[in-house]
Amino acid sequence: MGHGRVEHPEPRKRACDPKMRGAPTRLWARGQGDGFLPYAMVAPLVVFIGALAIYPTVLTVIEAFVHIDPLTPPDHFVGFGNFKDIFANAQVRQSLENTGWYALFGVALTVTLGTCTALLLQRPFRGRGLMLAIVVLPWALPGVVEGVIWSWIYNPTVGVLDSVLKSLHLIGQYVLFIGSHQVETILLISLVQVWQITPLAALIVLAALQSVPDELYEGAAVDGAPWHRVVRSITLPLVRPALAIATVEALVMSLNIFDQVYVLNANATTGASIMSATYFITFQDLNFGEGYALSLLATVITVVLAVVAVKLIYRKVEYP
Amino acid sequence: MKRKRQALGPGRILGLLVVAMWSLFPVYWALKTSLSTNGAAQQVPVQWFPVHPTIVSYEALFGAGPEAADAAGGIAQSLINIVVETAGATVLTLAVAVVAAYAFARLRFRLKTALFYAVIATLTLPVYATLIPLYRIMSDIGLVNTYVGIILVYTSGFLPLAMWIMYNVFLALPKSMEEAARIDGASTLQAFVRVVLPTAKPGIAATAIVTFLFGWGQFIFPLVLSSSTATEPLTVLLAAIDSRNVPYTIINAAAMVAIAVPAVIVFLLNRWIVTGITAGSVK
Repeated sequence: MGHGRVEHPEPRKRACDPKMRGAPTRLWARGQGDGFLPYAMVAPLVVFIGALAIYPTVLTVIEAFVHIDPLTPPDHFVGFGNFKDIFANAQVRQSLENTGWYALFGVALTVTLGTCTALLLQRPFRGRGLMLAIVVLPWALPGVVEGVIWSWIYNPTVGVLDSVLKSLHLIGQYVLFIGSHQVETILLISLVQVWQITPLAALIVLAALQSVPDELYEGAAVDGAPWHRVVRSITLPLVRPALAIATVEALVMSLNIFDQVYVLNANATTGASIMSATYFITFQDLNFGEGYALSLLATVITVVLAVVAVKLIYRKVEYP
Repeated sequence: MKRKRQALGPGRILGLLVVAMWSLFPVYWALKTSLSTNGAAQQVPVQWFPVHPTIVSYEALFGAGPEAADAAGGIAQSLINIVVETAGATVLTLAVAVVAAYAFARLRFRLKTALFYAVIATLTLPVYATLIPLYRIMSDIGLVNTYVGIILVYTSGFLPLAMWIMYNVFLALPKSMEEAARIDGASTLQAFVRVVLPTAKPGIAATAIVTFLFGWGQFIFPLVLSSSTATEPLTVLLAAIDSRNVPYTIINAAAMVAIAVPAVIVFLLNRWIVTGITAGSVK
């Protein structure tokens, strides 16, 4: 033990010595970078991301302007032709409108319910660990499974939702929830996704809540402030960055909603999302050109809205 | 200081009960249905508890019992598939992400910032951006409906988040131990393997668990890239069963099989999941 320690100063000094630059054993020395090793360490990641994320994205951008039809080759450049086609398609237009509803319901419900859940979990109590596990559970389940178990809840002839509403006399007879009315269908499918992603919002907000210093609350308690004033004046402003993250996550996920739509709506127009329309256009109708155009449009919408949301909510933090 | 020791008021207890009901009821309902006979499951008004619980739906699902002929079959194979694909992608993702995250967090090299942001930027890419081209790339190189193909695609999708979580884990570790190891004559690589990795174990576990859950939940990519019987994961099979004319009791039993693994993980390893999610989202 003693021996090793005695010798530190020497190699350290040599490491800093400009004359030692380039010596292979001292590549991590100051001002030198760490030699070849870091490149080897990041290479696999860079290859993966380059080949299977960035290259495909570039392909999407290019192919959106190409006519691709496996039945009538060759592929050729068509400018905005694919975009004209998708906008002429009534199903696509409805899926764009529907996705607006999905995003609205998804963000509003997820952020509200997530924040309420986080406020309930904020202070320690017995059984909080178990409660956290219960809250996290829906987040950990596959979206398809959730679609399947909720479709049974929504079942129009023997479902539990109809049964409860009827025994509460809220409906006279069993009703069809999914597929009869556009906004109702979207709300109920969105609710399944909200069930899945609310835990994420709750955990993000909870982490921020727990970093709020106790003294602030103690001061408010001394002043006799009511709880809703405490929440509005102390809690919410301090967790705003977390709310921004939760909002953006909910926004991106609801703009990408697919699994729940696939199970509950299949390829009906009523509740189609952009993602489900893209899937059916591309892999059922084999219209790759339109699929690419819709993909590019959706990518741009997602990225732009996410950036705008971050900017809007963060700005309020910087200039209150 | 009074706040901290306050007992739960009736309002909060009620709120927590509502949250627990909201989280658990759909799963309970699937479990109850899967343990009911077909007749009991379709009673109007509903039966809230399985009065005469039975496992015939599970037997039918795995090819035994009188209702087996109606069931979709293939669930055993799809379970093997989802485990192989999810575990394979988790191991590969962790191996690649941990090593790269350490280089980004601690080492100095040219292009570091540019490469780091290029990787992080792909976190914001929606599924749309890559789905169709990945299908075409994979079919060009003959990897559609193969384990290798789906594992590569999953890995490329999970890497940015796994790298980001591990990057934050490494940044939060004290530098002093690595420095001590280097001073004692260890190379950068030796210090990483012998000192840093053991210290980062909790962070690695959290990343692995979150990645595994992502893999288990995948649907659109395997639907497009691996929907043959030999490689389709449980999620794809479940959607197929759901669209066929199979009794709801059996569909819910299949759903419970898909729920069981993530549910066990959540109740046993919850602490790590919370760590992983929080580390991946803050900032």
